[in-house]
Amino acid sequence: MPLFGELELGTIAGGLPAMRDLDTEAWELPKAEILQLSCEVADGTRVLLPRALHPAIPEYVTFVVTRYPESPVGSFDLAQVRLMARAGVHPRGYVLGAVASSPSAVGALRERWGYPVVPGEITLRRYHDRVAAMVRRDGRTILELALVDPEIVSGGDLQYIHGVTLVRVDGAAQLIQVDPHYTLHQASRGRADVSRFEPGAWNAALVELTTPISASVSTCDTDLPRIRFVMDPETPVVRGTRKVR
Amino acid sequence: MKFGLFYELSVPRPWTRESERTVYDNALEQVRLADELGFDQVWAVEHHFLEEYSHCPAPELFLTACAMVTKRIRVGFGIVVCVPEFNHPIKIAERTAVLDILSGGRVEVGTGRSATWTELAGFNASPDVTKKSWDEFVRCLPRMWTSEKFEFEGEFWSMPRRTILPKVYQRPHPPMWVAVTSPGTELDAADRGLGSLGLTFGQFAEQDKRIAEYRRRIQLCEPVGEFVNDQVSTVNFLYCHEDDAVALKTGRQMANHFNYLAAQLISVRETYPSKSYPSLGLLPQLRRQATGPDASEQAGEGLCLGGPERITRALKRWEACGVDRVNFLVNTAESIPQAEVLASLRLFAREVMPAFNGGKS
Repeated sequence: MPLFGELELGTIAGGLPAMRDLDTEAWELPKAEILQLSCEVADGTRVLLPRALHPAIPEYVTFVVTRYPESPVGSFDLAQVRLMARAGVHPRGYVLGAVASSPSAVGALRERWGYPVVPGEITLRRYHDRVAAMVRRDGRTILELALVDPEIVSGGDLQYIHGVTLVRVDGAAQLIQVDPHYTLHQASRGRADVSRFEPGAWNAALVELTTPISASVSTCDTDLPRIRFVMDPETPVVRGTRKVR
Repeated sequence: MKFGLFYELSVPRPWTRESERTVYDNALEQVRLADELGFDQVWAVEHHFLEEYSHCPAPELFLTACAMVTKRIRVGFGIVVCVPEFNHPIKIAERTAVLDILSGGRVEVGTGRSATWTELAGFNASPDVTKKSWDEFVRCLPRMWTSEKFEFEGEFWSMPRRTILPKVYQRPHPPMWVAVTSPGTELDAADRGLGSLGLTFGQFAEQDKRIAEYRRRIQLCEPVGEFVNDQVSTVNFLYCHEDDAVALKTGRQMANHFNYLAAQLISVRETYPSKSYPSLGLLPQLRRQATGPDASEQAGEGLCLGGPERITRALKRWEACGVDRVNFLVNTAESIPQAEVLASLRLFAREVMPAFNGGKS
């Protein structure tokens, strides 16, 4: 069998987002802009990954910075650091840490989808030769990255991997699958450049970036959907998955 | 219809000093038996860094060992990666020629370009140009095998005029194939007059269409070699047992192991947006087979898991689709004990093979 995650749940249980129930209503999120970079990381991240999941080989992370101009809580930006993994046979991005630009978005994302999100400042700028993002928190820059030399690609060339968050529901730790839909209007790819990354600010203390893989940016209509699947974080997902709806 | 064996050489964790050796030894024993039983071919992949899924980075060595312990069975590269960072084309021509000589003209050469980020990045190869380099390689190989002197100046490699030695034993040269996982690659094979070496477990209706289009297209081909190889080969699982239920249970376990391990790979498309890899190829289908409607008690449509009658029926359907060869994965991650694998091969040869080719192997 493939390797599994080795996260000791007890080490982070106290800080997990709490959800009252799994009856989250969907959010429609039109005209979103998504900047995504992927980067290989040094071995050793399995201790960050719940035991239900398999690590990607080689281990890698994605940085996803999204601008949502319209949402039920108004415009907001969201930055995520995700450790890429497998839930059984399916690729998934386990959300290690996240920052959102508005307090109402922070509250909703934590309570409704279990994002381990905290407030911060996010900028996302398009230049002629790059698309750059910066995330600041408590006066410090904790992430600065860019897609360099964008070239237009077909929306079909992009693949967005569903996310997984680790939350507490009714007092018990659960993995929540967050599986948005995407209707792409425009897409580009380019070189990935991460000029600053403070792992500790993203619950990713052991993540050491090694080889940049790729970067993409898109404009799309997307959503944050109703929750469909939850998983026991300590049991392989082929046995520990429950369909909610 | 001809039958063969197909090897990924998967090695389950925990890895010990002996575990890889056991997998290779078992595979060689299976190949030796398959040769005696009348199987026609054995194929070995070239994969790198794919933990557990495939520990077979040097098919030429494994196939040489196969050739040395057998008399008739053909030995196929399934495939050799035609990307310069992986293999220099001169070395491909030389290695295949040496094996063709050692085996007495039993080599088949499958070509391909790798589909995983894990492998391509491991060799620092760009996914954007693998199809172009593959195209350049397959157009050169036949001339390298057959011309007394060869020189070339291309986008991916060049060489001054030299004699590439030795020459292949088969005349004019070994049959050439293309690995087909993504829909559409069979047409690349057809356009070049190359055999379609299917590596997916596609279902009948889909394969019907793809094979028909391949057959139509290859009529119009400009062959890269000195002859057209218009054969269609496909891959399948094989576990044959007198009791259908036992065979299905054991075979299904093997197939699940394979699908599960395959799904752990990082496909190019998962992480690197590129026109060169327009679809995920093999992986989505394997994921469906592992978790979708096929993952029920029934074997997936067309899988060769069951008693002799059931397997014969499945193969007759493949034959009707136009498949010329079926290559079998007979074990994955050693999930089936070696004695049972050998028994399955014997039963297949005794009860199923006679239903094809007028009873002649």
